[in-house]
Amino acid sequence: MTVDPRLAPTGGSAASPLLELDALSCRFGGLVALDQVSFAVQQGEIFGLIGPNGAGKTTLFNLISGLTPASGGQVRWRGEPIGGLGPERINRLGIARTFQNLRLFDSLTLRENVLVGLHRETRAPLVEALSGNAGFRARQAALERRAGELLALFGLDARADDSAANLSYGDRRRLEIARALATGPALLLLDEPAAGMNPAEKDELCALIDRLREQFQLTVLIIEHHVPLMMRLCDRLAVLNFGRRIALGSPEHVRHDPAVIEAYLGGQASAAGERR
Amino acid sequence: MDPALLVQMLIGALLGISVYLPLATGQLTLATPAFYAVGGTLAALLSTRWPVLGARIDGSFPLPSFLLELALGGALAGLLALLVGRIVLRLQGIYLAIATIALVEIVRVAILNLPFTGGAVGIFGIPQPFPSAAGYLLPALALLLLAGWVCQRLEVMALGRAMAAVREDELAARCMGIDTTQVKLTAFVMSAVLAGGTGVLAAHFLNTWNARQGSFDSAVIMLAFVILGGSRSWLGPVLGGLVLTALPELLRPVGDARLVLFGLVILSGPALFPQGLVTPGLLERLGRLGDPAGRPGAEGSRP
Ligand SMILES: Nc1ncnc2c1ncn2[C@@H]1O[C@H](COP(=O)(O)OP(=O)(O)O)[C@@H](O)[C@H]1O
Ligand SMILES: [Mg+2]
Repeated sequence: MTVDPRLAPTGGSAASPLLELDALSCRFGGLVALDQVSFAVQQGEIFGLIGPNGAGKTTLFNLISGLTPASGGQVRWRGEPIGGLGPERINRLGIARTFQNLRLFDSLTLRENVLVGLHRETRAPLVEALSGNAGFRARQAALERRAGELLALFGLDARADDSAANLSYGDRRRLEIARALATGPALLLLDEPAAGMNPAEKDELCALIDRLREQFQLTVLIIEHHVPLMMRLCDRLAVLNFGRRIALGSPEHVRHDPAVIEAYLGGQASAAGERR
Repeated sequence: MDPALLVQMLIGALLGISVYLPLATGQLTLATPAFYAVGGTLAALLSTRWPVLGARIDGSFPLPSFLLELALGGALAGLLALLVGRIVLRLQGIYLAIATIALVEIVRVAILNLPFTGGAVGIFGIPQPFPSAAGYLLPALALLLLAGWVCQRLEVMALGRAMAAVREDELAARCMGIDTTQVKLTAFVMSAVLAGGTGVLAAHFLNTWNARQGSFDSAVIMLAFVILGGSRSWLGPVLGGLVLTALPELLRPVGDARLVLFGLVILSGPALFPQGLVTPGLLERLGRLGDPAGRPGAEGSRP
């Protein structure tokens, strides 16, 4: 059971990274949520984004996916600036995302949630769709099969006809990834995909993300709080703290970065202090 | 039952679907009476003032001309929706509702004051493509079947799923590459085409047409069709439209108290059936009628 990898159209120069953030800033009134953040994500990487709560990680995703306008700086996709494009345009360029606060289509079934993601392929000629002729039915069957395959990747195929509202928290997170994958992205933005999962489930998800990268020739930008997991999963990481990128590099490099140790241990020390 | 009442009920069901379509994308618009008025006025004008259509001295009207009017009424209303929708569909929630009420008022006042629409009196003696009220049952039913069939097809079409996605979470839908503006506009135009066609039918059926036909009051009644019937399937507004159109007539024997009773039904309907008469649970059970091994439905799962 394989799902055809869909390659997004290639553009830009071969040398340019897939995604490039150039001095990206975002202000909410007086609050500086992101302050001149720069890094580049290479094709095929699993790139981690870590940092304490409120560091600006989700805001960064919102900027990349076109939900929030940047106050300064630029996002480049395959070398082309994409700042100012709406989220639907950005998705069509090959960037899909999940949400930290899940945003499923609750009253739709699991299969329908995924089929919404497959919408670009579900567009049949109007006459065919209205008449429901053999061509349409064949197309429909192929799509449903495709949706079933995507659900199966996440162990959700048995519940394909359940309503998404009835899923457990972990399964809701899985369905969101399946739905994002259905849009055929080259880059997948995962915002805390393992939140609310137990350690075994987290490991499983980790292995799955790695497999998805191979199977769909994906590049992954992932936010996750579980640092050991991120160290194992990611090729490179960036660390945000108070909207600033305080470290960037391999897991090994980041682990020993004094600024990171300060941000994390400092945070833990004060949290421990509060508890006492 | 009186065939004239049946035709009115079918017209109610058609208008219910017209309000339902934008609602299926999560947009509360009350513009249906405006499009209904556009269709009706067009039909009234064309059939009484344009001899080419072949209205006869005995008040009869050729069927092909009637069908042509149906197409023109739908097209004109759809065109208006296309123009207006681009602007008003940028609004959300109550602002959109108010903007569409404004549209209804603008169209009403325009029809009232145009030099050729007969002012407050309106247009009389609209010629009849059918010899009796019963004759209108066929086109009304055909229109309803056509609309219902399109709605039914939407459920398995990409457009219908995109509409549901926009209704459920517009932002998430945008992040999945769905052009939500386009989806909302398409539903709005479909709603207008249906209302425009229904207006054409109604103008001939009523034999007379004036600016009062598409008013804000009727928008509220049409919304009640959807609220009482349920907004999760096109069957809801159809049922709501049929029932709520019939009710005032059936209550006629009780005299003036009928308005009070009608009001009570509109008030208590949503209280007794918060999801409307046609609920997702009911639809699920209907879908399983031929499937004895059907699982228990997820009915009543409303928070
Ligand atoms: N829409 C918004 N309006 C105002 N402040 C916001 C908004 N979104 C995020 N913030 C603020 O920006 C900061 C970064 O938030 P966020 O990106 O969600 O952090 P993280 O995902 O790293 O936990 C927080 O202080 C948050 O309160
Ligand atoms: Mg966050």
